[in-house]
Amino acid sequence: MRGNGTRRPVAATLAVLGYIIMIVPILFVVATAFSAGRTLRFPPEGFSLQWFEAAVTYDPFMESLVSSLYLAIGATALALLLGVPATIAIHRGRIPGRGLLEGLFLSPLIVPELVVGLALYQQLMIGLGLDNLTTLLLGHTALLLPYAVRVTGASLALADPAVEEAARGLGASPVRAFLTVTLPLLRPGIFSAGLLGFVTSFNNVPLSLLLQDREFRTLPVTMLDYVQQSYNPRIAAMATLILAATVVIAVIAERTVGFAKIFGGINR
Amino acid sequence: MSTAAAFVGVTQRFGDFTAVDAIDLEIPEGKLTTLLGPSGCGKTTSLRMLAGYSQPTSGTITIHGVDSTRLPPEKRGLGMVFQSYALFPHMTVAENVAYGLKIRKVGKKETNQRVADTLDLVGLGHLSASKPKKLSGGQQQRVALARAIAIQPRLLLLDEPLSNLDARLRVQMRAEIRRIQSETGLTVVLVTHDQDEALEMSDLMVLMKSGRIMQSGAPREVFSQPANRFVADFLGYENFFTDKSGIFRTIRPEYLSLGGDKTGERLEATVVSTAYRGVDLLVTLEAVDGAGQTVRLIADVRNAAAIEPGQKTTVTADPAHLVPLENSGKE
Ligand SMILES: Nc1ncnc2c1ncn2[C@@H]1O[C@H](COP(=O)(O)OP(=O)(O)OP(=O)(O)O)[C@@H](O)[C@H]1O
Ligand SMILES: [Mg+2]
Repeated sequence: MRGNGTRRPVAATLAVLGYIIMIVPILFVVATAFSAGRTLRFPPEGFSLQWFEAAVTYDPFMESLVSSLYLAIGATALALLLGVPATIAIHRGRIPGRGLLEGLFLSPLIVPELVVGLALYQQLMIGLGLDNLTTLLLGHTALLLPYAVRVTGASLALADPAVEEAARGLGASPVRAFLTVTLPLLRPGIFSAGLLGFVTSFNNVPLSLLLQDREFRTLPVTMLDYVQQSYNPRIAAMATLILAATVVIAVIAERTVGFAKIFGGINR
Repeated sequence: MSTAAAFVGVTQRFGDFTAVDAIDLEIPEGKLTTLLGPSGCGKTTSLRMLAGYSQPTSGTITIHGVDSTRLPPEKRGLGMVFQSYALFPHMTVAENVAYGLKIRKVGKKETNQRVADTLDLVGLGHLSASKPKKLSGGQQQRVALARAIAIQPRLLLLDEPLSNLDARLRVQMRAEIRRIQSETGLTVVLVTHDQDEALEMSDLMVLMKSGRIMQSGAPREVFSQPANRFVADFLGYENFFTDKSGIFRTIRPEYLSLGGDKTGERLEATVVSTAYRGVDLLVTLEAVDGAGQTVRLIADVRNAAAIEPGQKTTVTADPAHLVPLENSGKE
């Protein structure tokens, strides 16, 4: 790493600049969260934890946090449940037109989310009369499918197909070979896809904005509403808490599979 | 000699392409059979059909006399070593070797014993707790071998097991596989495109080309009596010509001599080029053969006096090593 930095000063400078641009605004937010004053201002006036208390005792935030977690976990689970078998079928099966099929699963990446949202709104909510929660869950699932397919697909492409054949040759039934050999090899990929899916769903605004109603709102939408009405450090405190949780998840992910593996999978 | 497995009129087509074309082959019990041939001749395809990973388009494969053509691999009880080794990366060496025993519900104590014995057989007892990634290519290859042997397979199938090893290790492993084969009495089928490997290791050598078997037999027999031009070419016979009685023959470069002081089949020739190689001299010549065709000959001579390109000389072929070929050489 250091070798790269000294040999390529331009790239190194850009990287540092990139980090600064990303991190400095975050630091401002974090700093204002600890303010003792009443407005979002930098530098913060004094130091207190009052805004954290204000954030965690603010019902709309807490209710929508639960909704967001519920939605993110549900959509991630559904996307993996659909996406992983689909990936395996695409990569290992002998289905005609598999390129087309893979394209279909990846298409939510390209279609603007507002269009997807509008389509779901018209078809599922108006057309079929489904409620918001179901529609949101389905919408988020569609949104996460590309990650499930792409990331697990990448780790499947890396795995030697002969490994599963070897298990068969040693006496394992197709199901047993899959469970004892292929699935363990896919575990980091599935884990990464799940993590990425969870974060994507949790942070999503456009779909949630279109499909929300009074009973069911996600945290980002609620926070968006909040800043439009009041401008105080409570929002900064909530953002800081989310940031802290994200860092914890990232550390766990790094410990268990490693970032190189997770993001290596996506770039392939 | 009993037959461990047999191909009867086995054909494998991929779309319009025929990868294996109606082959008949008997694999002798307790012997080492090699499938030898150039890249793409259908060796792997044949081995995979025998293992059950793909099914012939037509024909029958029997194992120990039982029609096994449509049997899935897990029901065949064969051991296979893949070219890529295909070790289970998430398991230790010992767990890899124990995998097939676990499926066979062998007891824990016996499993441990058999794993230890098999790892000792391949000389890897000390690495049983390592993960495959930590091992060298040669060691991984031995793990793959041990994993296949541990289930006491009816046949052991090896697809180019040595091609990923460096030259020295490759030669060493030939003897190693031979030793394991004779110690276990296993029937082995080994795929290779290396003729030295096949000559050195096989009891039965099967030469393939374009999905067909060109010749099969003991290495000595095939090497000294190639049946056709393809086999002769593949085994390093360089000289092909029609003799005075009109028979198409071949001979190795080392059995041609120059100067005409020996008895044998003679041809008047002109030296085209020479290549000095220390112990011997490779002389390329041009001659007109018994059929009136201009042929190129290569003589591998020792203790030769200076020979210059353009010089005329007599080439004598040692009659003891002249091999008649079944076709006229028009491949
Ligand atoms: N699944 C497949 N689909 C289409 N063609 C195939 C398939 N498997 C093999 N072939 C073709 O069949 C021919 C024989 O292949 P095979 O792998 O048996 O050759 P090989 O003798 O093992 O060669 P090598 O020494 O290169 O491994 C090749 O031309 C190959 O391209
Ligand atoms: Mg092959």
